[in-house]
Amino acid sequence: MKDSTFGFLLTIPGLVFLTLVVAFPLSLLFSLSFLRYDFIHPITFHGLRNYVEVLNNRVFWLSLRNTIIYSGGTTTLTLLIGLLLAVSAARIKRFSALFRTLLILPWAVPLVVSGLVWRWMLDPGVGVYNYILTQVGFSREPINIFGEPTLAMIGCILSDSWTRIPFMFIVILAGIKSIPPDLYEAARVDGANRIATFRNITLPLVKKSMLTGTLITSMFSFRTIDNIWSMTRGGPAKATYVIGLNLIDYLVRYQNLGFGAAIGVIMLGLISIFATLIVYYILKE
Amino acid sequence: MGLASKLEGIVESEVTPYIVLSVFSAVMVSPIILIFFNSFKTLHEALSWPPTIIPSQPTLEAYVKVINSPVLLTLRNSLIIASGTTFLVLALGLPTAYGISKYSFKGSKFAMLFFLASRIIPPLSLLIPFYIMMTWLKLTNTFQCLIILDTYLAFPLMVWILKAFFDEFERDLIDAALVDGCSRLGAFLRVAIPLSAVGIAAVGIITFLWTWNEFVYAMIFTATEDIAPVTIGIFHFVGDEVIEWNSLSAVGIFTSLPAIIFFIFAQKYIIEGMTKGAIKL
Repeated sequence: MKDSTFGFLLTIPGLVFLTLVVAFPLSLLFSLSFLRYDFIHPITFHGLRNYVEVLNNRVFWLSLRNTIIYSGGTTTLTLLIGLLLAVSAARIKRFSALFRTLLILPWAVPLVVSGLVWRWMLDPGVGVYNYILTQVGFSREPINIFGEPTLAMIGCILSDSWTRIPFMFIVILAGIKSIPPDLYEAARVDGANRIATFRNITLPLVKKSMLTGTLITSMFSFRTIDNIWSMTRGGPAKATYVIGLNLIDYLVRYQNLGFGAAIGVIMLGLISIFATLIVYYILKE
Repeated sequence: MGLASKLEGIVESEVTPYIVLSVFSAVMVSPIILIFFNSFKTLHEALSWPPTIIPSQPTLEAYVKVINSPVLLTLRNSLIIASGTTFLVLALGLPTAYGISKYSFKGSKFAMLFFLASRIIPPLSLLIPFYIMMTWLKLTNTFQCLIILDTYLAFPLMVWILKAFFDEFERDLIDAALVDGCSRLGAFLRVAIPLSAVGIAAVGIITFLWTWNEFVYAMIFTATEDIAPVTIGIFHFVGDEVIEWNSLSAVGIFTSLPAIIFFIFAQKYIIEGMTKGAIKL
């Protein structure tokens, strides 16, 4: 047997599995999106009507808008804090293992638990953070965060960022660590201060890590619903209703699988844009 | 002293990064510490306003309640599902990654792209097709169903990671085994796998933790407490009238503990691995 044949034989089980759980459901997804499949009418070919209906659906656009705010908010906050922490962690000499360990711990908490934990901390009836806000004079009464659309969204962004900062922190820290230290020494000798070295050395050289971190973070927060589910389930008044929840509703609540599949295809299309950007930028460097 | 020079003084100071890191570490860890304390409160204290931070009379009430509730069963289910998934991911992933890495064939590059593309598809997009498939196969509300779907989630990335391990594995060691009369399969099973044990263990642990955290598929595909994992079980304490925050915190601690322990021990390797990856990229 040729070596290449042996290699191919080894990969067969994996490839067969992947075909069954990716290629097959994917083609099923596309097929479904062209069908009328709603458990009421007989299943018939529906052409592009599911897509037309999705694109004319007000709630779909609302959910897309919410998803962009949610994922954009999480990514921005995560990037800013991740960068600040990575730059700080790269400078210290003592306790660095301790700080790194503490800072990546939120990563260990399942997203669905993170949502519950933040819901608890922000709760107007029992929440410690809400209580602290009343104590520092931010508000006299406990704030009903989950009754107020904007605040509910901010709460969800906080909880999502909390679990995503560790990854961003590590990616950027790894980027900084791979910068040759002589660059900094040379710049210091030339009299550059820290702000100047940050702007002229760190920032341009970790741009790629930041980009990778940003794209991955935005892609993941775009497509996850775990913590929103446990915090608000899309409420109040659909203020945190994201595209993933919309898709689930078409499966569980409205049982219109054709329509849901069309949303699934649109979601896949949007994610592919992120993915193409990631691959493009990584290959470009 | 102007604002700019004051700012510069703050940035230049050797103490600043320590202060920044201390403040943020406290904020980042506080939710975990707070639920840890909360899990030792009585239900009455957990529901009172103003909230306390440290329980006034620490009690194991919440833990007793968790142990006597169906949540314990969901913890067992999580263990079964995560172990099964880890086994399946390794059983499929090791030969796949080894074959592509050491015996590249026509189309092996394409196979790797197939794995990468699978990773990019949002799991939610495949939810409806999976629902139809699992209904056809009559697999809804079974362990098999979740093990298959969770393997789908982890498998593509794990193949990439395993391939990276095998790429660094010394070719000479395999050749030496072959000269000694080992078959190619024997060299894989008796030389390559044992000598890559650390990397394989890491992949196994990551798969386990990942599966342990999974929520969406579990929510759609499980209906009863003898199958549902703990990410569903935790909602047992979210009632219509009242949320039993102390018991819920106890479950939160149980659920996060495996990964917390792992991160404390593996922190160094995670950052090293990422740094290596960053240089390679």
